[in-house]
Amino acid sequence: MKKTLLIALSLGVAVGAASTSALAVDPEMDRQQVLNFFTAKNPKIAHKEYINGAYIYDADKKAQWEAAEEFPPYLDDIDAGEAEWNKHQTIYEKCFGSDVSKVRVKYPYFDDAANKVVTLEGSINKCRTDAGLKAYKTGKGKLAQVSAYLGYNARGQIINVKIESEGARKAYEAGRAVFTQVRGQLGLSCAKCHAYNAGRKARSNIMSPFLGHPTHFPVYRAKSQSLHTLEGRYVGCMKNMRATPFKPQSAEFKNLEFFEAYVSNGLEINAPGYRE
Amino acid sequence: MMNSKMKQLLTALAISTAVVAAPISTVQAAEKGASTIEQGKKLAFSKSKGNCLACHMAGDGTMPGNIGPALIAMKLRYPDKQKLFDKVWGKPETRTVPNSMMPQFGQNGILSDDEINKIVDYIYTL
Ligand code: HEC
Ligand code: HEC
Repeated sequence: MKKTLLIALSLGVAVGAASTSALAVDPEMDRQQVLNFFTAKNPKIAHKEYINGAYIYDADKKAQWEAAEEFPPYLDDIDAGEAEWNKHQTIYEKCFGSDVSKVRVKYPYFDDAANKVVTLEGSINKCRTDAGLKAYKTGKGKLAQVSAYLGYNARGQIINVKIESEGARKAYEAGRAVFTQVRGQLGLSCAKCHAYNAGRKARSNIMSPFLGHPTHFPVYRAKSQSLHTLEGRYVGCMKNMRATPFKPQSAEFKNLEFFEAYVSNGLEINAPGYRE
Repeated sequence: MMNSKMKQLLTALAISTAVVAAPISTVQAAEKGASTIEQGKKLAFSKSKGNCLACHMAGDGTMPGNIGPALIAMKLRYPDKQKLFDKVWGKPETRTVPNSMMPQFGQNGILSDDEINKIVDYIYTL
């Protein structure tokens, strides 16, 4: 089982590197292999637990975290997100509809006409600029707060990203390549930390499985005492890899998010999350 | 992105300028103050240099990661010290583990040969 993914993921690398995409990736088969890989790694961890990141690997840390989640520090951010939504309610409702519980679960999706992935945070900013408002700063701040408000209202719903066209399949494959390719001075890839070595420790930080990454974003981090978006976290990890981060809402990041979200199909949205 | 050869060259240049620029007395003082083994330990533990503790248990280093094997009994396992240097430097023939997280410190210009030598001196004591 383990071998299958190792082969599958490293194939991704080889194909990407040679850029002669002879072997097309089948997203649903790929997703099943990811599930098999993590099941083989930790047979006792149920699929639905993968929404809780690195905490699934450490009972003590999980208990501390659950206690912290009783009075979570992100509540103020959710309130701020709601206030921000209400301030521009007419504009936002025109873009997203009037039911705030029905927004988050639609994203990310593949827009066949535009031939690209559309993310929630990209859409919030597009909605703003289309209406003549200034785009929010990416990564953290108001964008993360509005996203947290929408995530909070979608808690309990199930991620259900669809791939129904060749364009969408290619976006998945491209995101998967971003995930598996080695980059930066340290010679690392996302897969080395969040697939092959998930559950191991870098210094004292347990590395989370990538399965489930998108369910709990935006995430409030105790370390920085602020809420940040999934893309903000991608930027942070790329800096740690000593690689040049991609630009916010670049095709690379959007495809990466699409890949991580599709793999997480069937898992519950539990945004926003809280992390050390 | 600069390629690694270029980076190595720049690192090498920066180091040689530093050596040339430093007054001889400070160099001597530094050598007296810290043996190469202690310097190697500092380099190995420093987050911006070797950061070996991110992945390896090593000596009395606190909060080590467990991505790589513990650095213990190095002399026993690497009777040929050059082989240990080559492993840390990242010579292609030492890259035997697929998808390994072990960085190629020399190959990718993360550390200079001199720095790697000091680190190897240190881990050889473990
Ligand atoms: C050197 C190891 C390493 C590499 C390479 C790395 N990460 Fe991380 N990442 C971490 C650590 C450590 C954390 C914090 C602990 C955790 O996983 O929650 C983290 C956290 C994350 C999180 C937040 C998880 C959560 O539950 O809050 C996401 C998402 C993430 N990384 C994605 C990526 C992506 C995408 C890449 C590649 C572009 C990447 N990482 C590369 C080590 C790494
Ligand atoms: C990002 C993770 C990471 C960092 C940082 C790291 N290593 Fe490693 N190292 C590994 C892994 C994983 C292995 C095992 C796989 C292999 O041999 O490639 C390894 C293997 C080794 C080995 C061979 C061990 C053996 O039992 O034969 C030595 C020696 C070593 N590392 C030394 C170092 C030194 C010295 C540093 C710091 C200058 C360092 N490593 C930094 C991950 C890392």
